[in-house]
Amino acid sequence: MVGLGTEAQKYVWEGAIPLQIHLHESEITTLPSPPPALILGPRMGYLPLLVPQIKPYFSDTLPPGVDTVWFDYKGIPLKWYIPIGVLFDLLCVEPERPWNLTVHFRGYPADLLSPCEGEDSVKWSFINSLKEAAYIINGNSKNVMNMSQVDQLELWRSILNREMEVFLRISSKLKLGTVGEDYTKKVTSPRQTNSETDTAGSSRTGRIPVRLYVRNVGEDIDDLEDVPPIDSWDRICYINKPVEIHKEEGKIFTLHDAVKVLLPEFFPDEEPSIDEEISRIELEDEPEAPESNLCNQDLNISTAKKAEVGASADEHQLESSHVSGKSEIRLVRIQGIEPKLDIPFSWVVTNLMNPEHFLHICVCVGVSQDPSKTR
Amino acid sequence: MAAAESPNSSRKVVVHLRATGDAPILKQAKFKIAGTDKFAKVIDFLRRQLHRDTLFVYVNSAFSPNPDELVIDLYNENM
Repeated sequence: MVGLGTEAQKYVWEGAIPLQIHLHESEITTLPSPPPALILGPRMGYLPLLVPQIKPYFSDTLPPGVDTVWFDYKGIPLKWYIPIGVLFDLLCVEPERPWNLTVHFRGYPADLLSPCEGEDSVKWSFINSLKEAAYIINGNSKNVMNMSQVDQLELWRSILNREMEVFLRISSKLKLGTVGEDYTKKVTSPRQTNSETDTAGSSRTGRIPVRLYVRNVGEDIDDLEDVPPIDSWDRICYINKPVEIHKEEGKIFTLHDAVKVLLPEFFPDEEPSIDEEISRIELEDEPEAPESNLCNQDLNISTAKKAEVGASADEHQLESSHVSGKSEIRLVRIQGIEPKLDIPFSWVVTNLMNPEHFLHICVCVGVSQDPSKTR
Repeated sequence: MAAAESPNSSRKVVVHLRATGDAPILKQAKFKIAGTDKFAKVIDFLRRQLHRDTLFVYVNSAFSPNPDELVIDLYNENM
């Protein structure tokens, strides 16, 4: 393949969601009301980065005050550090096009959203996610921290301008195991070496940083079109868990295997795989850390104890509901795609990963209990 | 951020806080927190302890997680 990146990666980088953005009625001070802004929201972009484009549509009608911009969808304030594509995949089970969002320039809900000061905040959050991913992959974030000022700036600019080739060129210096790097070994069969590099990724190994969003649509809904909108982020379970790609002779680690590692409670009937056995043994062998001896000196953070009691009770509930066999995974969506679960996980990672090197997976499950207690 | 009391139960995590930059040193550096709590709770706790509105909290001096991440996930990422 000529150039950097696979064809699938290019599609993902070019992916955008048509947005129809309405100004919240409480901020409309003129008649007639301003028409909504129609713009494209890049899947890999972030909402605050669209503000310079959106502001001119509404600046004439805003009440006096200082801008503190935030967005909501059907009343749920949107977390600005989640990529636009992920927000869409997660909150619109049945994709709505254009996606109708409401913008607010006043009254930032500081109790629900972490503060955002425009592009700088987004950049800070992006670089930190990248460091976190590097930490998961390499055990440290040195490569990101030691990036030159020029490279860091250019990397960020490649995100803003959606320049995949620039991005891949700079991020390849970070040695985070993107296509064509050391541990993406070529498959030996001659037929396959000629094929595109994106299929050769199946030999990829290592820890993959995953951000998983689990939404419970309840057990009674037959058609995902009928899913009611989410009213609170508490109804979404946010899990960050690295997935280790295990290499096994003659067996490909599939998306199914990855989902099973991430959400083992949804695969109760299947025999535990060798992978899981290994990780379990590793866990048991883990020597007890010396710090734990000091626990008696520790002061609990106010409600920590209560939370723990609550958590173990929830866990019990979850287990029993799973035994009853009512829980199921309804939907696995990555970058707007609902991939077949038997495709190699390494393909998914190589092609559908976001530029901060996290793979964001949206999952809809049907569980007969409060979704905030899915863990 | 440091070790959990028991990795198997994966319920409680001991957080070891180290001052960096001009941050004041805490009298007590280690705290236990439920793994099911969000990182935001650690930040809020420090904000109250240090009486500062703006602070940066890093894990292993490597990265600053987003406040929604669960403490247990961060603990597991570091294993």
